[in-house]
Amino acid sequence: MNKIITVDRLGKTLGNVRAVDSVSFEVEEGEFLAIQGPSGSGKTTLLGLLAGLEKPDEGSVVVGGNNLSLLTEDQLALFRRNNVGFVFQSFNLIPTLNVVENVALPLFPERMARKMMLDRAEKAAVSVGLSDRLKHYPNELSGGEQQRVAVARSLVNNPRVIFADEPTGNLDSKTGEKVVELMRRLNKEKKLTFILVTHDDKIAAESERVIRLIDGRIVDD
Amino acid sequence: MLYYALKELLKRYRAYLLNVVVIGLATCMVLTLISLGQAYKEASRLPFKDIQGTIIVQKNGNVPETVSGVLLSCSLSPIHQDTIGRIGAIQGVGDVSQALSLWVFDPDRFKRVLGVNWQDGYGKSLAARIVDGAVPASDQEALVEKIYAGKNAVTVGNTIDIAGKRFTVTGLVGTAGNEIVASDAYINLAAAQDLAYQSGNLQAVEAFDKTDVNVVFISAGQQAVDGVTRQLKQVLATSDSNTGQTPLGQTIGNYSIYTPATFEEQISSIFRLSDRLTWVISLILLIGACLIIARNTLHAVLERRKEFGIMKTVGFRGNDIQRLISIETAVQVFWGFAVGMALTLFAIFLFSKTTVSIAIPWELSPYPHFLLANPDDANIVQTHFLPIRFDWLFMLVTLGAVMLIGLITALLATMQINKLKPVEILKNE
Repeated sequence: MNKIITVDRLGKTLGNVRAVDSVSFEVEEGEFLAIQGPSGSGKTTLLGLLAGLEKPDEGSVVVGGNNLSLLTEDQLALFRRNNVGFVFQSFNLIPTLNVVENVALPLFPERMARKMMLDRAEKAAVSVGLSDRLKHYPNELSGGEQQRVAVARSLVNNPRVIFADEPTGNLDSKTGEKVVELMRRLNKEKKLTFILVTHDDKIAAESERVIRLIDGRIVDD
Repeated sequence: MLYYALKELLKRYRAYLLNVVVIGLATCMVLTLISLGQAYKEASRLPFKDIQGTIIVQKNGNVPETVSGVLLSCSLSPIHQDTIGRIGAIQGVGDVSQALSLWVFDPDRFKRVLGVNWQDGYGKSLAARIVDGAVPASDQEALVEKIYAGKNAVTVGNTIDIAGKRFTVTGLVGTAGNEIVASDAYINLAAAQDLAYQSGNLQAVEAFDKTDVNVVFISAGQQAVDGVTRQLKQVLATSDSNTGQTPLGQTIGNYSIYTPATFEEQISSIFRLSDRLTWVISLILLIGACLIIARNTLHAVLERRKEFGIMKTVGFRGNDIQRLISIETAVQVFWGFAVGMALTLFAIFLFSKTTVSIAIPWELSPYPHFLLANPDDANIVQTHFLPIRFDWLFMLVTLGAVMLIGLITALLATMQINKLKPVEILKNE
């Protein structure tokens, strides 16, 4: 298996808090990795650093050969557009766009014909079981359906890694299970790498690998 | 990106409607204000429209003691040819037309007679208004004003008597009776000068030379009028017979110079603004619009901060967001301007149906008050439809200003958005 992510002595301070403290690990392509830890342990900050949403104060993150520490803001945006997908706890959908358009969001800045863009988004939406909700707006969808839209959006640009921050946090347990099941299926079928931040021990138990953080440090891998 | 921008505008049209309305109203107010300013300026030139001149010069004269026979229209004084020569030499002066305005107290009736040189600008413009017949070919022929002819049953081919001389009527001219130096009969300038020269009563007031006139029409380009007027005042500054005041309070021997500015003062309207004031008000309107739009747009950006955070997270660069905001702003500017144009055209249509009244100074078309039952009937008031029109040049200037507002707003909004860190926005939601 190829290494898709290499983290080397990564550090980040937020205010007076050492949110991530000299963290090093590697992730293989196609892995399903859960990051666990109590509140304030630095999970989300670490996820942000791995996904190129923030820049580290020290150390390095290399994702698919891209050393994120060396990239400018615009280069980081392009990196995110072309290499990674995101799923958030609060879904983060655009209320004025319907399902297909929300899924197509990462493609909007691309020079791509509208039809091709929406076709691609529709395929991604159908692949997560939203074929009967394509023209619906976020306020017309259940929580589980909204999270499926978010998953489809994370897939539309054919990413190598999908980052998910508490993807089941706003869902009931049954719906949460279905979303995790969907991610597991995509992980297996498409060999996609998933990195999830979660409180949920059940999800952690279903993951191939779990990294536990306390006070910004890895205490268990 | 255009697709996304349009979707956003359509879905949240209420948030953007204010911008469209503000741009529309500002555009309409600026364009209408400028058009009105131009229209009132244009209106002040209307009394000159029929005389092919933009400046009229007269010399103020004495009042005759005996009102009979042939007199210079009261209280005009003769202007000598050397003065006209000096006027013609002024830089910016085009055509110089001359006329001799006479009051003829014939035993049968009073007549206003104008001696005209049919070769100069004024003569040609008068000839263009002949409704029947032709210009006089000899000093024994005359044109008669159409209304006067109707009242007195005069037709082409008839004769009329002026100061004991018989003139054959060669044509009728439609001067509507309310023009500058409106007259009842128009004869050759030389014939009028001969009548004046032969008049003992006239010569008793002021010495009249056979080539003198008493009205001079000067044609100068619109931009040159002020400069020519200044030079005219210098050339005609010296009073050569300051012997008192005319009945209208003018100094005898001094020259009166009439320009469109004379009539601008006659037009009373709140819209008769100076150029500078028009531009200042327009600027205030545009700045006000800019502030409202900027405030509204920045407010909308703050409301959408989470949305922009999501966009940045999924890979929108600063340029991509700037493009999106620019398209959204451009669409608002386009619709706002279109609304403004429609409102402006409607306002211009409404204003074009209004009239403007211009009082012609009595001395520009004098009539003896004492012959009228109501002396006020001697006062001439011209009524014109307001010559307002849509000016494409100002439209382009306003479009430029509105586009600038859009550009500034888009830049301010983008600067605000670029400050947003996606991870912080998403963490805080």
